Amino acid sequence: MKTKLTMMAAALSLSAATFAHDVPQLNAAMIAKIKPGATTKAGVQSLLGSPWRIAQFNDCGHAPPGQADETWDYRGTEASGSYRLHIEFDDRGVARLIAKIPDHVPGGAGTAATIAPADRSGEKMAMKM
Amino acid sequence: MSSNRLARVASGFAVCVLIAIASRTGAQSSSAAAYPPYGPSIPVITNTEGDKGAYNRDLEREPPPGPWDSESLWNMRVEGRDDNQARPIYQPLIVNQNGREILYAGNLAGTALNPLTGVSESNGTSIIDVSNVRRPKFLFHIPGPAPIAGSYAAAGAQMVRVCGGNTLPNASSTGTAGRWYLLRAFGNAGANESHQVWDVTDPAQPKMLTTVISGLSNTHKSWWECDTGIAYLVAGSKSDGWQQSGSAQHVYIYDLSNPAKPVFIRQFGLVGQQPSADVSSAKSCLTAPGENCYEGVTNPPAGVHGPISMGTTVNRVYMPYGVGAQGVVQIDDRLKLVNGCKRSGPGGNPSASLNCATRPTQADLLWPQVSWITMNPENGAHSSMPVYNVPVPEEQTNFVDGTPQSKSLLFVSSEGTANNCFGQAPHDAWLLDISSETTPWPMATLNVPQFPGDFCGKGARFGAHAVTEAIYPPYYGKIISVSWFNAGVRIWDIRDPKNPKPIAYYIQAPNQNTIASCSTINGVTKCFNATMNDYVEYDDRGYIYAADRAGTGITILSLTGEARAATLPASER
Repeated sequence: MKTKLTMMAAALSLSAATFAHDVPQLNAAMIAKIKPGATTKAGVQSLLGSPWRIAQFNDCGHAPPGQADETWDYRGTEASGSYRLHIEFDDRGVARLIAKIPDHVPGGAGTAATIAPADRSGEKMAMKM
Repeated sequence: MSSNRLARVASGFAVCVLIAIASRTGAQSSSAAAYPPYGPSIPVITNTEGDKGAYNRDLEREPPPGPWDSESLWNMRVEGRDDNQARPIYQPLIVNQNGREILYAGNLAGTALNPLTGVSESNGTSIIDVSNVRRPKFLFHIPGPAPIAGSYAAAGAQMVRVCGGNTLPNASSTGTAGRWYLLRAFGNAGANESHQVWDVTDPAQPKMLTTVISGLSNTHKSWWECDTGIAYLVAGSKSDGWQQSGSAQHVYIYDLSNPAKPVFIRQFGLVGQQPSADVSSAKSCLTAPGENCYEGVTNPPAGVHGPISMGTTVNRVYMPYGVGAQGVVQIDDRLKLVNGCKRSGPGGNPSASLNCATRPTQADLLWPQVSWITMNPENGAHSSMPVYNVPVPEEQTNFVDGTPQSKSLLFVSSEGTANNCFGQAPHDAWLLDISSETTPWPMATLNVPQFPGDFCGKGARFGAHAVTEAIYPPYYGKIISVSWFNAGVRIWDIRDPKNPKPIAYYIQAPNQNTIASCSTINGVTKCFNATMNDYVEYDDRGYIYAADRAGTGITILSLTGEARAATLPASER
């Protein structure tokens, strides 16, 4: 029984360590310094460190109009739960959009994001929602 | 009880258990090893419909999908999942490797932590043992290229093909016997991309074998005939002079029968793409056929996406051009394609030009061409896949000479690339009648409506993408499975090919790994956790693999209900 308890405690501490490693507390003041339309990849990295994940969706290296060239995701936690800080870059390596996206949004409804002024004016999408 | 008798009883019990498991999971045992790309045979399709076909058939009504944050299934069941280390997947391929079912996943560009190494690795090729679908085991990640100047735009390793050395020709003399080989694209759209071969005999310890070709500017989806070794690689190059609009890709054909020693055969593309074409003066081959014309609606024609060869028996290769716009679908004579730059021998062209292999003339490109069909320019040809001799149930008597009628089909899809549908036409899929292959003609449209589901408001891409490429005989000519981005896996019953019916779907729920898709709609910018089914593929047990482009992982599925019944012989339904 004692061995079992020791193993369980070890497993719990290991998972806690993994969780702590995977989901750091992102610094809100640092996040606020990221300005869509101005902050570069190097600037984001100096503020937040390396991202948890980078993704580039495009088949042939070119983003379709109105879409990100590259996205960086950071994991974070706050009182309301875990989230991803989602930053999109254009093909010049400048942030075009930033959003704090909860891991679960009820119903799948979207989350508001801040977008660079140039990208905002470039979108002419109008839909019946 | 003697030990022999015990062994026989135990063996019988094991078989019963396996049958019970297969029956319970909906998977059906059938070897795919004889069919392309592993062998030259084509399954024979029997008519399992009544003589009225599907017209007005009382099918189960399709239920609307659930909310956007939920998983939605119809006539499908989830058997297992793997998170693929949160990497976005382009193409999965499942190979029965000496009795182990190994999933190879080509990943889109980016980087993520590999928990097996503790290192953040550039997205490359994932290798996952899915022998037990309920407990997939991630074996290895072969990293992709490093970023260039801080950008991953040129990275990733999207495409995979695998051949067994015992299937490749001349195994004993080339030393390939007993070994397994992975062909993959290395890089996406930089200036020095390549196609590589890895030895994956031990899938947990892959070893780099050779680079087939490097110095490429665009790689894309290849095809590798395992029984002949002929490989059709898709790429572009800034230095080879080929001309394309949109996606800059054409075909490089290699003999990879000895994967360690690739032998270049030729380059190939659509008429009007060859280096010698005079683009400034070329006219449409439709309205002004001549010695300098272009096929399709744009000059020069759009690049090829991924050839599909049906091997030596059928002797045909299908080439989709255009991806999502300016599409052309071409049917080629395989033997003339592979040997057309030789001046003698089977498939040889006595009039082949001196530089046919690298700088072909228009006549060199026309030599293997059986036919081509131009699509509506709003759509491109992303995927093509033939299904031969599908019985037409309501035409089994009284037509033509009174004999049962059948149709050979070519599935074609156009890739939707816009988020929230905005800025482009709808992208659907079609079944072309290629029974008369010199005059292909559309027979049916496979469409997923935006409602119910509100797929244009859900975020991410909505539209067709790709079709399964593995031939699993019980499904062949019965159902067709198509990836439809945020509308998930979509399956049609095609037993009556003139009346294809939606029969199953699976939409993956987003999770904490899903890469958000963001759009500005009515002046408001929002991000959505939306999955995008990029590819759907079968294994040789009938399991169906849904791969997510948005980093949500792989879902392993089986068919249930009416969808499963559609794949069974009439006597077993």
